[in-house]
Amino acid sequence: MALCLFCNAERREPLTFRTLLSPETEAGFCPACRDGLKRINRRNNCLYCGRDLSLLDQETVRDRICRDCVWWRKSGRNGLYVKNYSVFSYNEFIKEIINQFKFRGDSILADGFACDLRKTFQRIKKEHGTRTAFRLLDKMDASFIIVPIPLSAARLAERGFNQAEVLAEKMGAPVTNALVRDKHEPKQSKKNRRERLMERVTPFRINADYASLIEGGKVLLIDDIYTTGATIRLAAEALAQANPIEIDSLTLIHG
Amino acid sequence: MLLISRKNDYFPSYHLDMQRFLFGREFRAEELPFPDKVVKEHVKNGYVAVRPGIESLNDNIFDLLSGRKKWLCARCGNRDQEAFATCACSHCRKKCVYCRHCLTMGIVRSCTNLVTWIGPEPESWTCSTHNDVQLCTWDGRLSDDQNAAAAALDQALTARESFLIWAVTGAGKTEIMYQAIEHQLKKGKHVVLATPRTDVVRELLPRMRAAFPSVPISGLYAGSDDVRADAPLVLSTAHQLIRYSKCFDCVFIDEVDAFPFHFDPMLEFAVRKAAKPGAPFAYLSATPPAALRSAYLSGSLSGVKLSRRYHGHPLPVPRFHWIGGWLRAIQKGQLPVPLRVWLTEKMEQKRQVFVFVPSVTLSRDLTEILQREAFDRTVGVHAEDPHRHTKVADFRNGKINILVTTTILERGVTVPGVEVCVVGADDPVFDECALVQISGRVGRSAEYPAGDLVFFHNGKTLAMVRALGQIKQMNKEGAL
Ligand SMILES: [Zn+2]
Ligand SMILES: [Zn+2]
Ligand SMILES: [Zn+2]
Ligand SMILES: [Zn+2]
Repeated sequence: MALCLFCNAERREPLTFRTLLSPETEAGFCPACRDGLKRINRRNNCLYCGRDLSLLDQETVRDRICRDCVWWRKSGRNGLYVKNYSVFSYNEFIKEIINQFKFRGDSILADGFACDLRKTFQRIKKEHGTRTAFRLLDKMDASFIIVPIPLSAARLAERGFNQAEVLAEKMGAPVTNALVRDKHEPKQSKKNRRERLMERVTPFRINADYASLIEGGKVLLIDDIYTTGATIRLAAEALAQANPIEIDSLTLIHG
Repeated sequence: MLLISRKNDYFPSYHLDMQRFLFGREFRAEELPFPDKVVKEHVKNGYVAVRPGIESLNDNIFDLLSGRKKWLCARCGNRDQEAFATCACSHCRKKCVYCRHCLTMGIVRSCTNLVTWIGPEPESWTCSTHNDVQLCTWDGRLSDDQNAAAAALDQALTARESFLIWAVTGAGKTEIMYQAIEHQLKKGKHVVLATPRTDVVRELLPRMRAAFPSVPISGLYAGSDDVRADAPLVLSTAHQLIRYSKCFDCVFIDEVDAFPFHFDPMLEFAVRKAAKPGAPFAYLSATPPAALRSAYLSGSLSGVKLSRRYHGHPLPVPRFHWIGGWLRAIQKGQLPVPLRVWLTEKMEQKRQVFVFVPSVTLSRDLTEILQREAFDRTVGVHAEDPHRHTKVADFRNGKINILVTTTILERGVTVPGVEVCVVGADDPVFDECALVQISGRVGRSAEYPAGDLVFFHNGKTLAMVRALGQIKQMNKEGAL
């Protein structure tokens, strides 16, 4: 019997047609752990940042867009960046999983999210596919260039792996390390929200080898968590140098 | 950082700081607070050894043919292949194997180096200053049984032989160790007392410090900050010994039989690794595991059996009381009648009681029912309870009358005059060993050497009958 990646309990899967047909189940979490994850309702999420709107004070929501996203639009800093997709809302439980994954280095935990990431990626492609169908002259199909948010060399050495890259690899499509991070701003937690939003100098730059690949393509940035949206936009700003047609992002968590 | 060098004409120098930090322990290279260059120099000069954190176990042709690799974690001894995973590693720029079993102590990857001291031992703390001073200032008196056991233990450890102290609960095991510990410390030896549980370390640490006031003592458990790298006497949970290697000349293992010792091979590995090769082990237990018991009975392991408590009174013998559909009753929010009768009687007699239940949920439910039924001053505890230590302290100083608990309090916690019942003693979590330990909570002090002890059950189990047999047997032996 397969064991839960996180709590190590036996995964008693309900016997369905699918589990009957494939006895070799994918590595993953047990039903109890999956219950602890707070999945974002796709019918009631922010059209831009993908957050679960039911968690907000409804006063702050207009036309399914949250106040933060309105702020970003007014700031004029979105550029080619369009929208973010997230799978789960931040809560204490996913925080524990992410701590073990990111800070203790238990990178196999990403396998537990592989299925969700793959499905979300399929959905994103479908969403974009229908849109391009009306623009027959558009040279692009719905394929994305997947670019994980990088760590600086120093942070990478300290941690041993890039959590965004590990997540990106679970999506079942090639990953392009098109970005380089020259430095790490002081640890994120030490900055307050305002300081983070005001950060204007991008620490990212494009890896020259990939510039031609990005040109005219659609980019999907990958990270573990979308907090203020500042990091993603700084990365998008750097990518914009290579003239893609659009930049979106997918994060495991919105928090 | 202060780096002192010791130089003489024949040998290259080494840093005393590095010696103190690394002696008897093994760290991941990245955990060392010394510059790379300095560490390398020590390796070159033969003071420091480095080995890979993950070893490949592919020794048989079969594995080689099948192409499946098998791994061993050199730090925690993990061989369970399910507990290894691979990661894209930025250090070695390859797929790297890592051990999931000991992740909480910092990740060990196949490119991780484990570093230890192989140079001369640091000057021992005792030899220099305390040779002719009495270290143990405990002034209590041992019973004749205890005295004989203490002497036999001391003798065995001096002869570097392992020894079993098979002592009934409340026989005064801790005091029996003092003579041997004193002797070892005076000879400049490093001594560790390993136990499987945090509670036991927390209970023993103040007693040891009181008994050996001049000795630096480290207490190691998850979350403790009581670490002195060079303490000659270390009290530790088995888990925390993972960072030690070939450190101790003498190992005491308290409560060898306790969970999780016989479930988790990593803990045994950690204790063995922490000991120097050939170091003698002293095992202390009221209910030794089968292997130790038979080694003792067959004579291959020397030891003593103490069947009498230090105060000379016999062990309280459990009564069995049928309680029928107690589980349904509690689930429906009702208090089973026999339990109500028993508790009412105890409260009238102004006794404090432990109520043992098989699960956390039951502990919660029963606590709620009791509080509602006006058995006030009732609390429940379980292993994950963040307020566990304060609740136990409240019980000790009499603020609480009824403590509803899972098996976590089966050992270690001693309160004079307490009486005990087990609700659902037929549940499989109450094995023979647990029931004997639970029974051992009663009648510990000379003032209250007896006390009521009831197993409420819905059908006798073999474990219950065996526990009863064991207690009666010990009383018979003790009466001789
Ligand atoms: Zn689980
Ligand atoms: Zn939004
Ligand atoms: Zn390990
Ligand atoms: Zn590596």
